[in-house]
Amino acid sequence: MDPLPPPDPKRFEVSRGTLLFDRFMGIAIRLGGISVILAVFGIFYFIGKEVVPLFQSAEVKPVGMMHSDVPPAVMGVDEWGKLPFFYNGGDKLVFIQAKDQSRKEVDLPDLNGGQITAFSYDPVHQRVALGLADGQVGSFAVHYQQTYEDGKLSGVDASVEEEPFFQLEHGDGPVTEISYGDSGTGRIIAAKREGSTGSSVSIVQLGMKRSLLGKGKLSLIGETEVSTELPAPASLVRSSQNGAMVLIACENGEVAYFLADSEGVSKRQTFKPFDTAVPRQINFLFGGVSIIVTGSDGEQSQWSLFRKNGEGERLFGETKTFPNLPQGKVLFAGSQRNRSFLTGAGKHLSIRHSTSGAVRWEGETDLDPVAAVLDAKGENFIVAAADGSAERYSIHDPHPDSSWRAFFGKVWYEGGSEPVYQWQSTGGTDDFEPKLSLIPLIFGSLKGTFYALLFSIPVALLAALFSAAFLPPDIKKVVKPTMEIMSSLPSVVLGFLAGLWLAPILENRVPSVLLMLISIPLTALLTGFVWCRLPIQIRNRFEGGREWLVVLPFLALAAWLSWSLGPVIEKIFFVYKDPATGKEIADFRVWWPHATGARFEQRNSLVLGFMMGFAVIPVIFTIAEDALSNVPKSLTAAASALGANRWQVVWTVMLPVASSGIFSALMIGFGRAVGETMIMVMATGNTPVTQWNIFNGMRTLSANIAVELPEASEGSTHYRTLFLGAVVLFAMTFVMNTIAEVLRQRLRERNKLV
Amino acid sequence: MSVFSKPPEGARPDFIRVDNFSFHYGEKQAIFNIDMAIPENQVTALIGPSGCGKSTLLRNMNRMNDLVEGVRHEGDIRIGGVSLYDPSIEVISLRKRVGMVFQKYNPFAKSIYENVIFSLRVAGRSKRSELDETVERSLRSAALWDEVKDRLHDSAFGLSGGQQQRLCIARAIANQPEILLMDEPCAALDPLATLKIEQLILSLKKQFTIVIVTHNMEQATRCSDRTAFLYMGRLIEFGETMQIFENPKQKETEAYITGRFS
Repeated sequence: MDPLPPPDPKRFEVSRGTLLFDRFMGIAIRLGGISVILAVFGIFYFIGKEVVPLFQSAEVKPVGMMHSDVPPAVMGVDEWGKLPFFYNGGDKLVFIQAKDQSRKEVDLPDLNGGQITAFSYDPVHQRVALGLADGQVGSFAVHYQQTYEDGKLSGVDASVEEEPFFQLEHGDGPVTEISYGDSGTGRIIAAKREGSTGSSVSIVQLGMKRSLLGKGKLSLIGETEVSTELPAPASLVRSSQNGAMVLIACENGEVAYFLADSEGVSKRQTFKPFDTAVPRQINFLFGGVSIIVTGSDGEQSQWSLFRKNGEGERLFGETKTFPNLPQGKVLFAGSQRNRSFLTGAGKHLSIRHSTSGAVRWEGETDLDPVAAVLDAKGENFIVAAADGSAERYSIHDPHPDSSWRAFFGKVWYEGGSEPVYQWQSTGGTDDFEPKLSLIPLIFGSLKGTFYALLFSIPVALLAALFSAAFLPPDIKKVVKPTMEIMSSLPSVVLGFLAGLWLAPILENRVPSVLLMLISIPLTALLTGFVWCRLPIQIRNRFEGGREWLVVLPFLALAAWLSWSLGPVIEKIFFVYKDPATGKEIADFRVWWPHATGARFEQRNSLVLGFMMGFAVIPVIFTIAEDALSNVPKSLTAAASALGANRWQVVWTVMLPVASSGIFSALMIGFGRAVGETMIMVMATGNTPVTQWNIFNGMRTLSANIAVELPEASEGSTHYRTLFLGAVVLFAMTFVMNTIAEVLRQRLRERNKLV
Repeated sequence: MSVFSKPPEGARPDFIRVDNFSFHYGEKQAIFNIDMAIPENQVTALIGPSGCGKSTLLRNMNRMNDLVEGVRHEGDIRIGGVSLYDPSIEVISLRKRVGMVFQKYNPFAKSIYENVIFSLRVAGRSKRSELDETVERSLRSAALWDEVKDRLHDSAFGLSGGQQQRLCIARAIANQPEILLMDEPCAALDPLATLKIEQLILSLKKQFTIVIVTHNMEQATRCSDRTAFLYMGRLIEFGETMQIFENPKQKETEAYITGRFS
């Protein structure tokens, strides 16, 4: 034998290439991992950044003092809060430039020597209403003009325009209370006179005739004396800014509500806002259907117009109460953007929001204020003390409509007859009250998921069991990839099919579908029962999982029979007799709402359940089938060898071992169902209802984001609320998945092998 | 050695009758025309190199191979004169007659108690006294009772490998089958555990007809009455163990038992 060649001395070395590659891969994998974590945190950061401002309360900062020698009774300000005026019933308005404290006096129009005995200011129409000693009532308008320089607001100037005065016919003596409203086509003046014969309250309706040239002409329509209809002498008169209503508070604490329309003025209601206290202030909120009543002991509550129990005429009812104000002169200034208002008493000030009943900000001022005004943009407010000194504050409150209560609590919205969970983020008018409750959307997500899983889980799990434990391998080889392809169907296609093809078919055939839901499982069970009783010689011919060939024709027959019998069933059981005509209508769509009180819609949860099946079944099936197929053959063989039949093998051995995998399959199916968007958008009608009714739709959190995000302006409350919906969706799935994971680990621990 | 014995009085010499039996896994033929008669209440060992078809033959005796895809067979196997492939045979009741112990011990993820009575449970028997009695009898037969009687309701996975395999034997004999098939029952065990199983086999043959597949020729000599040597899917030689090992008639047998190929 030749001597062996000496061994290569380098044989223990590792090549540089291997080492470099190893190091490179180490770094690359670490980088990849870290960047995934960073990306996830980045998403959290971004979503958090959008959501957090929703829960910040208002920020209020003093920006400066100003002085006028007028002890103000009323104040007004321009849209930007730059040029407030002070007025105390004299013959001039004092304007102070906030910027440089420069003072400007504007004389009131000549009142023919009339003496002003009552006045009030309507910030919506920027109009000061005046009542004179001789019983004349009228107004003048404050006009603000902006000057722009290089497209930027550079200054604000003001002027005053006189409007016609009218002589009150009823009562005598001077006007002591006056309030002015403007509907655009007509106006209303409510005035109280105190005379030697006692007090009287008149409501004057004015018509506005518009000429082609623009300027309209005011004319008197009528004057109604209402003091006879009051339960007690009037103490406070307030007309709504929209000129439709007059509220008169009486000395006994009751408030009378008068409606003014083309048929004149009529009393609708008398209500008592507080048990003992007397209303000291009544202020209409933005939108003109709610009032804030402040009582003599500092109580504050909101009253809105709504139909009691959803029926009859719209009357005032209490919808919210606010924390009590301290003692002192009550201040009130309503926003003209939303349902916030500035209120206060003594040195105490607070900004409150009527939708959620939340206090947005609270604070103290150094002054002892007697008047307050909020600019139209809601960015500044000014409070003034009796000595004429005033302080200006800036408000930063971009999301007044948002609060925990608004998102998750029952809220009594304006016009509603009770507190509800409601989602209605946008409306047709500027004074629309946003309804931002996420509860209907969370409910919708749960409902959609429930109906999707109700249909998918049994089908998917039974299919997985059948495929893993019964089906011959050659057929399984075809079935499994087919199911996997099914899961790759784009959900927009499924949604399209659901909404435009399946929904109209199912709509006419609900009884058939219901019949099928019963007859198909029943037929399968019955066939199995009969099959077991056939002689073994016959059964052995379809051995090894080919028994489904026997069942299939029966199932097809059952399906066909149910489909054809559906209309017959409908004629027998689902007949609605119209009480008006006595005509009988055999139509499930008509019968369902009358029998159950729930709605029937074409795009409903049934359609959704079927179509979501296409999305969810393959996911659950594939994973559950894998879990079942991965049960060690040694265990199933042992069970078979001990005389267990196929079903017993499944039940006693495969299911316990595969349980954690099946659980995962269900959770992934759940995740798919919760997050599914396009099918939900297209197949459900997207109404944010909170009913489990299978024959109407829902709006899910995900569908809501898809539908509304394109129309939400960036940074708005609406926009951020949609992000909050995303956070809620994430939290829901996160909590569910965490619970499921814990359960799954327990299952695995209990059934682990070795 | 006293362990080798003639079939006892009244025992059928051809209790299991393999009749010109061939078996195919798809295209591949695993067993070629085997004829053999396995006597009642004796231990018959099947030996041969890997892939010779001994396990396949064993697994056909309770039709476990039915679970494999694409199999077919020719010829017949009869137990007590009845063909396993008779159309009126219920495979499930066949498997109750013919118990099986596998190469790798495979207790279920249940308690020792539940493992033993599994065959009774699937047969729908749930009388407590019967179950308790079966557990004790089976575990005693499997020489495991003294070791586990205090922890019958603990998980079977807490036992050692040898104990787990004896538990599997106890489980297989709980329903008192007629035949016990053992597919290399000691392959995954250490020598001491192997010894215990072998002693167990000798004690069990009074009640059961045992067919054992083994790679360990010493094991075959220690505990079998008759030995069949299979090679390349064919039965080369079948006779009394003593004769096969001491005086093989075929050269392949001799070559195998003397370790010239494996």
